[in-house]
Amino acid sequence: MQAIDPVCLMQVDTETAAGSSEYKGKQYYFCNPGCKRRFDADPERFLSKNEHEAMAGPREQCLPEDDLEKHTGDGRVTLSVGGMSCASCVANIETALKSLDGVAGANVNFALERATVEFDPDRVGLSDFKRAISAAGYDFLGVRDEGTGGTADKERETREREYGRLRREFIFAIIGAALTMAGSFGEMLPGLNLIPRQVMRFILFAIATPVLFVAGRRFFAGAWSAARHGTTDMNTLVAVGTFAAWAYSTVATFFPGIFSGAGFRNDVYFDTAATIVALILMGRLLEARAKGRTSEAIRKLVGLKPKTARIIRDGQEIEAPIEDVLFGDFVVVRPGEKIPVDGVVREGRSSVDESMLSGESIPVEKNPGDQVIGATINKTGSFTFEATKVGKDTALAQIIRLVEEAQESKAPIQRMADKVASYFVPAVITVAIVTAVIWFIFGPAPAATFALLNFVAVLIIACPCALGLATPTAIMVGTGRGAEAGVLIKDAEALETAYRINAVVFDKTGTLTEGRPSVTDILPAEGFSEADLLGFAASVERGSEHPLGEAIVAKAKERGVTLSDASDFEALAGHGVVARLGEKSIVMGNRKLMNDRGVSIESLAARIEALEDEGKTVAFIAADGKLIGAIAAADTIKKSAPDAVRALKAMGIEVAMITGDNERTARAVARKTGIDRAMANVLPGDKAEEVGKLQREGKIVAMVGDGINDAPALAKADVGIAIGSGADVALEASDITLIRDDLMSVVTAIRLSKRTIAIIRQNLFWAFFYNVILIPIAAGALYPFFHILLNPMIAAAAMAISSVSVVSNSLRLRRFELR
Amino acid sequence: MVTDPVCRMEIEKSDAVATSQYEGKTYYFCHVNCKKAFDADPKKHLKAKDSSKERK
Repeated sequence: MQAIDPVCLMQVDTETAAGSSEYKGKQYYFCNPGCKRRFDADPERFLSKNEHEAMAGPREQCLPEDDLEKHTGDGRVTLSVGGMSCASCVANIETALKSLDGVAGANVNFALERATVEFDPDRVGLSDFKRAISAAGYDFLGVRDEGTGGTADKERETREREYGRLRREFIFAIIGAALTMAGSFGEMLPGLNLIPRQVMRFILFAIATPVLFVAGRRFFAGAWSAARHGTTDMNTLVAVGTFAAWAYSTVATFFPGIFSGAGFRNDVYFDTAATIVALILMGRLLEARAKGRTSEAIRKLVGLKPKTARIIRDGQEIEAPIEDVLFGDFVVVRPGEKIPVDGVVREGRSSVDESMLSGESIPVEKNPGDQVIGATINKTGSFTFEATKVGKDTALAQIIRLVEEAQESKAPIQRMADKVASYFVPAVITVAIVTAVIWFIFGPAPAATFALLNFVAVLIIACPCALGLATPTAIMVGTGRGAEAGVLIKDAEALETAYRINAVVFDKTGTLTEGRPSVTDILPAEGFSEADLLGFAASVERGSEHPLGEAIVAKAKERGVTLSDASDFEALAGHGVVARLGEKSIVMGNRKLMNDRGVSIESLAARIEALEDEGKTVAFIAADGKLIGAIAAADTIKKSAPDAVRALKAMGIEVAMITGDNERTARAVARKTGIDRAMANVLPGDKAEEVGKLQREGKIVAMVGDGINDAPALAKADVGIAIGSGADVALEASDITLIRDDLMSVVTAIRLSKRTIAIIRQNLFWAFFYNVILIPIAAGALYPFFHILLNPMIAAAAMAISSVSVVSNSLRLRRFELR
Repeated sequence: MVTDPVCRMEIEKSDAVATSQYEGKTYYFCHVNCKKAFDADPKKHLKAKDSSKERK
């Protein structure tokens, strides 16, 4: 069958089409995967735009990519980029992308090997990015799908292949290095000392040359491609350094006359060149392994995704792959099984372990009407739920997307490091040349040897590798560790601001408090017990949808009070309810209702006034016209609130509360939680303004709210922290989202940010410090005083150690204690 | 092939984006809005489906 590709309008055969998409029940076929991707991103655009053109008949061939690309996308894309070796590559790629007309911003992450580009889709497109990246000397590996973890496997495969290659090269190089080392010091070894010195040089040449140009070809290829584009990177340093040692030795081996004629010694440094290659490859190998571990958190999250689901279709239970679960499907979950997608319980009850998403270890009770989250584990009972979020809309998919975005983002602190790195390599080459010239002219004999060795040592010691890894590895591990604890950090910038917070504002209702009333006091009149009173009240309120009624029924259940059936139930809006319980006529409601019905409340008046002073809501209950008691309810404070406030204060953070309630209620809550500053009578729209007032006092303010009503205030605050209930993680206004409904998470988030920033600073300090101290030593600054020089081989080992130590330091965040 | 009871488009089950369970039967929809319309008043749409058959 023939169909028309809606993107390029080319005629395609449905059998041989490169892809198809279903949209609004219609199947569309595409001539290539690129067309499908563009269609999927925004089907409406192509359907409406091309409608009249489609009428004119199909086209002969797919339009050139460029023309199409320019009209597509939402202006933001994440690309996989290969071939990066250090921090200066980051700057090179960013510059290349940013120089394109229509690109607003480019963000390259060295640790993740990704580039995120923000662009104007009407002016620039993927093919331009591809060209720019290739022109800069790197590999464009394609577009990364976000959120689904779909390309994670492919990326892991690439990483494993790369790792395997690196290992083979390293093994080859280390054997070669060991052999050249043995050969160079052969005079001391029995057997080897029989080989004439001149012959040995040829043997060393034969071993070192493949080590350099086969095992170490990545350095030369990288340096060459950088050079062609007029830039430099760490490959340049390694390539120039090792090549210098090799070239000098080669000339000395084949044309010994040149050096001896000029009065220089005919030494060869094949062992130096081979050892440097081996050690730097070792550093890369260890770094690759450690880098793999930094993204462990994401892999763990992706691994949580269940594979199959038991769905009900036409009354039959069938087992289907999770991708087939549709919005509205009824899904059956048995004890011990993973809940496949997000939904609402319809039948049955159970307890569910949500610890993998919220960090909360106590199982949560689930009854009909309760939300369940995909990837959590059903513990005790069987139940059926209706799927409400599937595919990339599930909480798990959103969490994965959030964490991935956070890991890709760049902290402001890193921009500085990148900038430094881009000037670093040319500066180092200059220093190395100056070093060589000075040693050659002023150095002791053999001047050429000293000049060569110090030239190589400076180049090797200065690789800005550790600098490029310092920030991104810490951000990756830090945000990943947060996700495990139910703390989702939006980006690196949020993390960097959070550690400076010195004031935290909590929204009251729903954040500090549970957000719904519960019974606090039961006041029976003379002759009645608390159980009697509760029994009457709850029987009348059973089936009530009023929050107060629900609170009373919940309390009765908790106490195990037996309820009886009420009849003639009538709700009086704004006043209360009346009903019959057997022989008795029950009236329940506020003070006004009692007045209207002529019920005297004298007997309890004094105690009730005291309760009302505490900001509690009081309901009166009368039977046959006589008061039998009153029940008070109030919005209760979350158990974690006082602890969280105390912990924040201990960190030297000012804690405030904001509420639309009156001064009296606000003060009561503030007292109970230990909060000093309560801002009462604040209309919802004015919350942001109150946050602004604190900021004008010079404070760095974090606002903690529910993310929906408090969105403007969350956005206004320096750090908006949304405290959610599991399923709603896509809270746009917030910088940090807390999955667990536990205020201690606020403390965890701030502590995590402090710890991450501390690690970044340590990393940057060591990376810079190391270069600043060791470059002069390598150049021979200490030689005139102490006769200390840095052997180029030691320099190579030190360089490898510095990268590994930076990554290892970041990995310490994995063990960050949450409490 | 199944028929979306709201918009009456014929779709493959694998292409459906949503389902609803009504009186023990599963209905498939081409769009979330169709499902919402169906859930609001299933009877109306099931009747409409019958009459559409008659028209054919």
